[in-house]
Amino acid sequence: MFSLFYGLWKYMFSKTEFHVLILGIDKAGKTTLLEKLKTLYSNLEGLPPDRIVPTVGLNIGRIEASNTKLIFWDLGGQMGLRTIWEKYYEEAHAIVYVIDASCPSRFEDSKSALEKVLRHGDLEGAPLLILANKQDLAGAVSSDELARYLDLKELDERPYMFEAVSAYDGSGIKDSIDWLVDAMGRSKRTETLRIRAGVNGLASA
Amino acid sequence: MGLVFTKLFSSLFGNKEARILVLGLDNAGKTTILYRMQMGEVVSTIPTIGFNVETVQYNNIKFQVWDLGGQTSIRPYWRCYFPNTQAIIYVVDSSDTDRLVIAKEEFHAILEEEELKGAVVLVYANKQDLPGALDDATITEALELHKIKNRQWAIYKTSAIKGEGIFEGLDWLSNTLKAGGG
Repeated sequence: MFSLFYGLWKYMFSKTEFHVLILGIDKAGKTTLLEKLKTLYSNLEGLPPDRIVPTVGLNIGRIEASNTKLIFWDLGGQMGLRTIWEKYYEEAHAIVYVIDASCPSRFEDSKSALEKVLRHGDLEGAPLLILANKQDLAGAVSSDELARYLDLKELDERPYMFEAVSAYDGSGIKDSIDWLVDAMGRSKRTETLRIRAGVNGLASA
Repeated sequence: MGLVFTKLFSSLFGNKEARILVLGLDNAGKTTILYRMQMGEVVSTIPTIGFNVETVQYNNIKFQVWDLGGQTSIRPYWRCYFPNTQAIIYVVDSSDTDRLVIAKEEFHAILEEEELKGAVVLVYANKQDLPGALDDATITEALELHKIKNRQWAIYKTSAIKGEGIFEGLDWLSNTLKAGGG
């Protein structure tokens, strides 16, 4: 009986934890972004960019921003490893999609990988933050140019935002995270995931 | 006082220590990997009954590496070594397709262990030198690595015999442990 009330109390008052997937093709800068987030938002010093190796699995970053707990899942972007992305969709509240804005020759690859992500039913309604990364490099296109190039359809059903950032020097990241937290707070998907987790929590209590 | 200086010294010069368990089915190549790490050469091994333990200094981390015997009858003793472990290296014989299901079951049983909750996971898809060895993406699927959502993991294709992939994996491990792991 006690555990029933405890479960209910937890359901109503515990701080929401948001799961955010960081996706994108290889060399986009996903792990550099993750490490920068750790440096900016937690008391852990993230790895410096020159120590980062290509991800072949899962990196995790736990941070707190705007009084909200965020858990980032950074998955490897190499061709063979992209098949595991979808295994993490169901529990994700939002997606951060990272694109190397200084490398137009790979925009097409980025675009088709992103379109595949957006078509997946398990991500229905999930807010999408698209980052035009590597703004510190000469020749990086702006977020508007990138948006025009990608010319994505089917974005209307979900909150989305394009931001220009540099995971290397940290510019633009704060605005991006502010938008993300706000979008997740309003999103219907958050409510759906919360009810699902709450029901499971109560059932096991 | 001396202790304070020792701590300061090791935090400045980064001599971190980590306890690593090397696990996997029998004949996966655990012992060959251990001595590849420690001596940089191939030694001929016999099936391990019990354990081998060696210290490997790499990237300013002193790894205490425990290689535990993998035969069915002695797998229950693995858990005696679980406390205070920072990382698990799980070795798979990528050419032994018949036993991948067992490898998967043992793997997930290990992940369930309370005492290993905080350990990060490095998978070696070993024996890549053999014909018919499955690649990293296929081993990822077979081991159902995607079920891991609350700890960091990585997979590397390795050949203990040729010395490929092992130190790439250790690079990942030392970065991850330095960044706080878990």
